[in-house]
Amino acid sequence: MAEHAVEARGLIRTFDDGTGIRGVDLAVTPGEVHALVGLNGAGKSTLMRLVLGMLAPTAGTVTIAGRGFEQTDWSRVGHLVEYPLAYRELTCRQNLVLGARLHGVMAEEIVRMVDATIAELGLSQYADRRTGKLSLGNRQRLGLASALQHNPGLIVLDEPTNTLDPAGVILLREALLRRADVGAGILVSSHHLDEVARIAQRISVLNAGRIIGTLDPRGVDLERSFFELVRRDDVAA
Amino acid sequence: MITGLVTESTKFVRATVVRATTVVMVLGISLICSSMLQAVHTADPQLAAKLGPLIEPGGWAGYLTVAAQVTGAAGLLGYGVVLSWLFSREFADGTVTGLFAVPVSRPTIATAKLLVYLAWGVASAVALALALVLFGLAGGLGALPADVVPAIGRQLALTVLTAVIASPAAWAATVGRSVLAGIGCTIGILVVAQVTVVAGAGAWIPFAAPALWAISGGADVTTFQLALVVPILLISAALTLRSWHRLQLDR
Repeated sequence: MAEHAVEARGLIRTFDDGTGIRGVDLAVTPGEVHALVGLNGAGKSTLMRLVLGMLAPTAGTVTIAGRGFEQTDWSRVGHLVEYPLAYRELTCRQNLVLGARLHGVMAEEIVRMVDATIAELGLSQYADRRTGKLSLGNRQRLGLASALQHNPGLIVLDEPTNTLDPAGVILLREALLRRADVGAGILVSSHHLDEVARIAQRISVLNAGRIIGTLDPRGVDLERSFFELVRRDDVAA
Repeated sequence: MITGLVTESTKFVRATVVRATTVVMVLGISLICSSMLQAVHTADPQLAAKLGPLIEPGGWAGYLTVAAQVTGAAGLLGYGVVLSWLFSREFADGTVTGLFAVPVSRPTIATAKLLVYLAWGVASAVALALALVLFGLAGGLGALPADVVPAIGRQLALTVLTAVIASPAAWAATVGRSVLAGIGCTIGILVVAQVTVVAGAGAWIPFAAPALWAISGGADVTTFQLALVVPILLISAALTLRSWHRLQLDR
C-alpha cells in the first residue's frame, strides 16, 4: 500500500481560551482530495498549522510521505494557510519566482514554471503589476499559484476560495483536480460544502477540535447532514 | 543560504521603507550638518553663540564632529526602523506562514535578513560619507585638508557601527512580532547611550562607544572598548536565530 501523503495521529494542541485540537487522526492518500469542514473556531486552521509544523503538538505525530518533519522533503509540499506568500513591493511574477526559489526549484526551470502558473491561474494581465495594487481576490490567486506551481506531492490549503471570484473558484478547482489526477494528496479546508463536494473524495467534519464524522460528497443534502452531526456532538458534549 | 540571500535582497531593494529611510538618513543628516554650518555664520549673534560651541573647532573638523553627533542619534533611529521592519513585516503581512514548510530553514532566512541589512548598513555609510563631503564642499568649506581624511574614515566606521549596535532590534521585533517592539528597543538603546555618556561610563558601553570614539577623534575610546560592539552583534544574532528556529504560530 502506498504511504500517505500526510498522516496525523493523536494530535493534541489546545490554547488558554479553550480552543484547539483534541486528539485528531487524519490521513490523505496520494491522489485524494480530503476536505475539512467545520464552523468558525472548530480548529481547522490550527490543524493545518500542526500538519505543516507551524505549531508543535502537545501530543501526537505528523508524517509527510512517511517521514517525520526532520526528514521531510519540503520541496514536495505546497501550502497556503491564512495569508498568501505575496510581498506587496514585488510584482506577481517576482513573487512567484521568489516562491519557486523558496521551494527549491532549479533556476533553469523557474521561468517556464512561473509562466505556466500565471496562465493556469489567470494572472496574465497582472503578471507585472505590483502585488500591493492587486485586489484581495487576485492576491489570493497569486498565493495559490505560489503554493501549486512546483507541482507538490502534498498540497495543504486553508479556506482557499476566500475572496476568490467565481472564475477564480473554477480555476482553482480545475488546478487541484489536475494535480490530484497525477498523484498529489490534497488537504483543503472550507466553509463551502457545495464547493468541497465537487472535488473531495472524503469530507471530515471538525467540531470543537475533534473530527466528529464524515460526509458523503455525493450526498443529497450536505448542509443538513453537517448541521445534524455538529448538533449531536454539541448535545453529547 | 544563497536562496535566502537572493530572496531577502530581492525584497529589501524594492521596499519603500528601505528606500525612504536611506534617502531620509543620508540627505537628512547631511542637511542638518550643513545647515548648522550655515547657521554659525549667520548675522544673528544669539544663534551663532548657541551653535558655535557645537561646531568647534570649525571648518571640516567641526563639521564632521557635528556629523558624528547627529549620526549617533539619527542614524541609530534610521537603522533601528529598517531592522525592525525587516523582521516584523513577515508577521504584519502574514507572509510568515509561507516561510514554514519550505526547504529553506527559518534560521537561514533570518541570517539572510541580517546579512542583507549589514550590507545595506555599509552601503548607506558610504553614501552618507560621500554626501557629507559633497554638502561640505557645497557649503563653502573648501578643499578637504589631508588631516581631516581620518575623520571621514571615523565617520564611515561610526555609521557602520551604528548599524551594528541597532542589532538587538531584530530580536525585539521577532519576539514582539511588531515593528513597534523593534523601534521601542532602538529608543531604549539610544536612552542607554545618552545616560551612560552623561554618567561618564560611555566608553565601556557598546551602545555609546562608537559615537564617543568618533566625536573625540578616537581619543576617548580604546580599540578594545570599541570592539565590544562585536559581542552585541553576535548575541543579538544568536538570540534572533534561536527565536526564528523555535518560532511557532501560536498567537
